[in-house]
Amino acid sequence: MSALTWFYLAAGGWVLAAAAALAGRGAPRLIHTACVLSGLAGAAGIAGGASALWWGNSRVVSAGGSVIVGTLQLQASSLAGAFAALLGLVALAIAAYAFRYHEAGPHTAIYLAVFNLACLGCLAVLAAANVVTFLVAWESVALLCYLLILRHPGRTDVAGGAFWFLALSETGFVLLVAAFVILAAKTHSMQLDLIATRAHLVPAGWRDAAYLLALTGFGFKAGLVPLHVWLPEAHPVAPADGSAFLSGLVVNLGAYGIALFAFRLLPVGPAWLGLLTMGAGAITAAIGILYALNERDLKRFLAFSTIENTGIIVTAFGAAMTFGAYGQRALWAFLLLAGLYHVANHGTYKTLLFLEAGVIEHTTGTRDMDRLGGLIHRLPRSAVITLIGTLGIAALPPLNGFVSEWLIFQGLFQGFRTGSHLVGILIVVAAATLGLTGGLAIYAFVRGYGIPFLGMARTRQSAEAAETGQPVAGPGLLAVACVALAVGAPLVVLALSRAVGTVTGVTLRPDLLPGNLTIIPAHTDFSAFSPTYLTVFLVAVTVVPVLIYLSGRPGADSVTVPVWDGGMVTFRPRMQYSAMTFSAPTRVTFDALYRPSVSMHRASDDPAGRSGPVHYETEVTPVFQRYLYTPVVRAVEWLADVIRPMQSGDVNVYLLYLFLVILAAYLIGAL
Amino acid sequence: MTDGDPALSSQQDQPGVPPPASGSEPGPELAAGRQLSERIARQFGRSLHIRTLDTGSCAACEQEIRLLAAPHYDLNRLGFFFTPAPRHADLLMVTGPMVRAFDVAARKTYEAMPGPKIVVATGACALGGVYQPDAFVHGSVAEILPVDVWIPGCPPSPLALLQGLLVAVDRLAEKVGGLSFAADETQEAAQ
Amino acid sequence: MALWFLRGLRRGVVTTGYPARSDDSAARLPTPPAFRPAALDRSTADRLVAVCPSLALRREADVLVFDVGACTACGRCQDAVPGAAAPSGEFELAATSRAHLVKRIPLLREAGT
Repeated sequence: MSALTWFYLAAGGWVLAAAAALAGRGAPRLIHTACVLSGLAGAAGIAGGASALWWGNSRVVSAGGSVIVGTLQLQASSLAGAFAALLGLVALAIAAYAFRYHEAGPHTAIYLAVFNLACLGCLAVLAAANVVTFLVAWESVALLCYLLILRHPGRTDVAGGAFWFLALSETGFVLLVAAFVILAAKTHSMQLDLIATRAHLVPAGWRDAAYLLALTGFGFKAGLVPLHVWLPEAHPVAPADGSAFLSGLVVNLGAYGIALFAFRLLPVGPAWLGLLTMGAGAITAAIGILYALNERDLKRFLAFSTIENTGIIVTAFGAAMTFGAYGQRALWAFLLLAGLYHVANHGTYKTLLFLEAGVIEHTTGTRDMDRLGGLIHRLPRSAVITLIGTLGIAALPPLNGFVSEWLIFQGLFQGFRTGSHLVGILIVVAAATLGLTGGLAIYAFVRGYGIPFLGMARTRQSAEAAETGQPVAGPGLLAVACVALAVGAPLVVLALSRAVGTVTGVTLRPDLLPGNLTIIPAHTDFSAFSPTYLTVFLVAVTVVPVLIYLSGRPGADSVTVPVWDGGMVTFRPRMQYSAMTFSAPTRVTFDALYRPSVSMHRASDDPAGRSGPVHYETEVTPVFQRYLYTPVVRAVEWLADVIRPMQSGDVNVYLLYLFLVILAAYLIGAL
Repeated sequence: MTDGDPALSSQQDQPGVPPPASGSEPGPELAAGRQLSERIARQFGRSLHIRTLDTGSCAACEQEIRLLAAPHYDLNRLGFFFTPAPRHADLLMVTGPMVRAFDVAARKTYEAMPGPKIVVATGACALGGVYQPDAFVHGSVAEILPVDVWIPGCPPSPLALLQGLLVAVDRLAEKVGGLSFAADETQEAAQ
Repeated sequence: MALWFLRGLRRGVVTTGYPARSDDSAARLPTPPAFRPAALDRSTADRLVAVCPSLALRREADVLVFDVGACTACGRCQDAVPGAAAPSGEFELAATSRAHLVKRIPLLREAGT
C-alpha cells in the first residue's frame, strides 16, 4: 500500500475517533473506543511514514478547487515521512495512555475529540503539498493545541499558559505566511514541488528573506531562544498527554518547517544562513538546559529540555546547510540525517517523560520535585520506564539519544573539510557548545530522575503513592521504541538515508553503512561506530561480572546492616539534597545569565541561632520576559493607544475612511 | 600472657567460630577457628585499617593518635593505616567516656564495620576511669561496645598506642598482665 | 634541590625503631606508679585512695586495689605519701582483658592486726 493510502487510513481513524468521543458524550465505552481507534490510526501513521521514508515522494493528490482558497493538495514526501512515523508513534502511545489516564466524562470526550483532530491536523501539515493546505493545517493545529492546553480552564495559570502559546503561535504564523507568500509570488506557483524546482529563479535577497522569515516563524513553534517563552508557560498547565503531544510532536513540526525550507524548498544558500541557523541552535541548546537546571516543577523542567533538544536539531540542520554551501555534499546529507534521527529520538523519549510526569502528578498530587522522593519503591514500573527515557535523553550509551548525538558530533567535528578557517572554528565552537549542553543535560537528568525517584520520600504524598491503575502500556511502548531506535540504529540510518537521498539527491550509501552494522559519518577516513555492538558489549560488561560474582560467591554468613549514614541518630528526608541545592553550582557559575535575586527575612537577629523562622526566597530573573517581551508588549500597547482616537465611533469618520481606502485602491491598481 | 587470641575475643563477630567449651580439650572446630583467626591476625599484621572514634574525650588522646601518623612514630611502616570509613576499617580505636548522647552513633559505627573486627579502648576515660557513670556518660566504652584490647594512659603516648595496636594484631605479647605494680616483689606478704 | 631534602640528609632518619629497638623518649614518659607494700598500711592506703582524682585506687580489707586502666599518671599519690609510690617506668600497658589491669597490692600488716 502506498504511503498516501496509509495516511488516508490514519486520517480516517482519527476522524472516527473524534466522532466516537463526541457522540458518546463522555460514556466510558465510547471513550475507550475512541482511544482504540486513535491507536489504530497511529499505527497506520507509523506505516505511512515508514513507507514514505523508504519509497520516496509520492504523487500529489488534489481535491476541490476554488479561486479564493485554492485546492487541497496532499503528498507523502519522504522528508515528512520521518515526522509522520513519529506522529504515528506518539499518537499510538498517547492513545494507550489516555485509555487509563482520563476519567470518563463530557469534558474528556471533548478533549479527546480535539486531540484526535489535532493529530489529523499535524498529519495534514506533514502531507500538505501546497501553500494553502499547509497554512490552513498549521493554523488549525495551533488552535486545536490551544484547546488542548485549556483542558482545565478553571485552574490557575492555565489561561495564561494557553494564551502565551496562542499569541506566539500566531506571531509565528504571520511570519510564515510572509515567507510562503514571497516564495509563491516569486515562483508563480502554490505547489511545494513546483516551488522547489523553480526556487533557483528567486533572487538571492528574496530567498534569504524568505528563509529568515521561515526560520523565525517556525522558530516560534520549535522553541528557538528567544522565541521559546511559551514552552515553560504552556507545558505545566496542559494535561500530561497534551504536554507530551506538544513537546513530542508539535515542537518537532517547527523543526520540520525549518527542514522544509532549508532542504526541500530552497536550493543551497549562502554559508552565513547556515551559520546563523547553527548559532541559533547552539545558543538555544545551551540556554535551554541552563534554565532547565533551575526548575523544580517537573513539567517546566521537561519543557526547557525540549528547548535544548530543539537547539541540537537546529544546530545539525544549520551545520548541514553550511557544509552544503561549501560543496561538502556528503556531510550536507549526513547532518540532515543526523538531525532527523534526533527528531525521532527526541519525540520518543520526551513523550515518554511527559507521560510519566503525568503518572507522577496523578499518584502524588504534585509536580514539585522537592515534594517527591523514593518513588522507585512506590512506582517500580514507572521508575524503570522513566529510567530508560532519562538515559535516552541524557544521551548515555547505548540508548538512542547517544546514537543521534554522536552522529551530530561526528558531523560537526568534520568542520575542517569546509576549507575556511573561520567557518571551521565556528563549527567547532558550536560543537563545543553542544558538548557543554550534553554535560549539563546529564547533570540535569541525574537531578530530574534522582530527586523524585531515588532517596527517601520527602512528603507523605510521595511516600503513599501507589501504582495500581496507572497507565503503563503507552510509556512502555515508547521505552521499547527508545531501545529499538538504539539497537536497530543501522536500520534507522538506512531508512533515513533513503529519505535524505530523495530530499538532497545525495546517496550516502554504501559509505554510510558498510555491511557489518557499523555507521560511518559520511567520510570513511574519519570514524566509525556500531551502536548494536556497543549495546551488546555494554550488556556483556555488566552481566558477566555479575555472573562471575554469583557463581563464585563465598558461602559465608552475611549480616545485613543499615546504610552508613555517619552514625546519625535519625536520618530525616529533609536532610537529603533538594532539587535546587543540587543545581546550586550552576547558579553560581552562570549567575550572569540567571541574575538570581535572593531575599531573606529573619524574625530576629539573635546571633546564637535562635532567631526563629527564616524566610528564604531565591528567584532567577526571567530575562526574556523582562527585557524582550514586556517592552514589545508595552510598545504595542502604546501604539494601540495612539491609534485609538481613530475609532471615534463617529459613523461619518468611518465613511471618510472607506472613501480614502477605495481611492487608494484605485490609485494603486491604476499604477 | 595473652588471654586467648585477640581476634578470638569478640567471638560473636567471627563467622564460624564457636565459643570454647569450658574445661575440655579444644575440639576440631576450635582448632579450625584458631587457624582462621591466626590467618586473620597475620593479615591484620600486614595491613590494618584503623577508624578512630571520639565518644566525648578531651582530645588529648586524639592528639597522641594523630602523632602516630607523624614521621617520628610513623605507623604506616608497621602496616597500619587510618581510614575515615567504618566500612573499610578493621579496627575501631575508641576514646572518651562514651557520652550517652553518642551511644547510638557508636553502635552504628561498630555495626557498619565488616567482620572480623577489633575494638581497642584507648585512654583512661574509655577504660572506666576519670568519669563515673551518671546521667550523661556511661563511664566506659565497654558498656556499649565489645572491647578486645585496652590501652591505659592519660593520654597514652604514641609508643603505648603502637604497643597496643601490635598486641591487638598479635605481633607483640601482652606485658601488663605479668606486672604487679608492687615495688619490691619479695614483700609478698602472706595473708 | 629542595632545602628539605638537604636538611633531611643532614639530620638522618628520625623515625623511631620501636618495637625493634627501644625509643629514647620512653624514659621521659609519665607512667603509673608502682607501690611499695612496705610503706603501705591501712591509714596510708586510705590517704592514697582519697587523693586519687580518677578513682583508680580502693582499699579492700588489707589489699590496695589499683586499677592501672583508670590511672592518669598525675603523681598525686606520690606527692601525698612520699616513698609509698614511685613511677614504675612501664608504658607498655596494653591488655587483652580488663582484669589484667586491676592489680592487688597487699598492705603491710600491722603488728597485732
